Amino acid sequence: MADQETVKPGDVTRRVGVEVIRARGVDVEKLIKMLVANAAAEFASTYYYYTILRMNLAGYEDYKEICEDARLEDRAHWELIVPRIYELGGNLPNDLKAFHDQAGCVAAKLPDPPTVVNILTLLLESERCAIRSWSAVCDMTFGKDPRTYDLASRILNEEIEHEAWFIELLAHERDGKSIPSGHFRRGEPGEAPYSKNRGFYNP
Amino acid sequence: MNDSEKSQLVFRVHLVTPFGEYELDVNGNQHLWDAAQMAGISLPAICHQGRCLTCAGQLLEPGEFDSSDARSYYPQDREAGFILLCTAKARSNLRIRTHMQTEMRMHRQKLGLPAPYA
Repeated sequence: MADQETVKPGDVTRRVGVEVIRARGVDVEKLIKMLVANAAAEFASTYYYYTILRMNLAGYEDYKEICEDARLEDRAHWELIVPRIYELGGNLPNDLKAFHDQAGCVAAKLPDPPTVVNILTLLLESERCAIRSWSAVCDMTFGKDPRTYDLASRILNEEIEHEAWFIELLAHERDGKSIPSGHFRRGEPGEAPYSKNRGFYNP
Repeated sequence: MNDSEKSQLVFRVHLVTPFGEYELDVNGNQHLWDAAQMAGISLPAICHQGRCLTCAGQLLEPGEFDSSDARSYYPQDREAGFILLCTAKARSNLRIRTHMQTEMRMHRQKLGLPAPYA
């Protein structure tokens, strides 16, 4: 294997865990940039701003709870992916603004006016961007980097569920239509059944 | 003619891609990336918000376009001829080189502007 040629016994400057995926065709430097951008989106574009959105869903306690689930699960995604960035030899910018600016998705800033429909629309489009971003990572790593693929696909599973929730809520609130998400419950807020590696809800 | 009237027109868009050149008619109310996709031309994109720069192109000759749907687009981008195809709408006939994400990120970095995935 290629890594046996490039990583000598006792060498701590290179990683077999990186060289094997490079040998399989992963552009590791590009992958690190994508993971940093996605981590920035999870932390800065969503987790931080979803906190504000949740605060502004006054009177819609059910929506507030679902926003809280999405908020905490996005934080779980951040926690899940950051170690992988360092494992691959990358790092996070030592400057929060620089980190924020690398996010591949638009910051979910409180809309003006902050109506429930505007907030749900923003939440929906944020989740859609996350689906696209994590799908891109899955495409880059499928069949080549099983560890990153596994992490990204766990995150993607939850982002897809989040989109379904906000479609259901927005269709109900804005259009008076029923478009079920197909999901019945989360447990405690931020359960993150995929990205926290708990058993799936499958009675 | 105001912008609203232009949005009702159809424009001729010439795309220069790494895998060939294409001509397509695009409605003024249609995003260029969507028009290309409908014509069977697959262009790169991730966020579809006018943010991540994956869909970037560059004008090959002067032309008009509406970039107001892009969530992160700067006057300096327009001055340099960069266009985010996922959120841009034609306001004149256009000639565009696609697959310019690397160049647009370098342009942003030089100016100290946000450059996701850079």
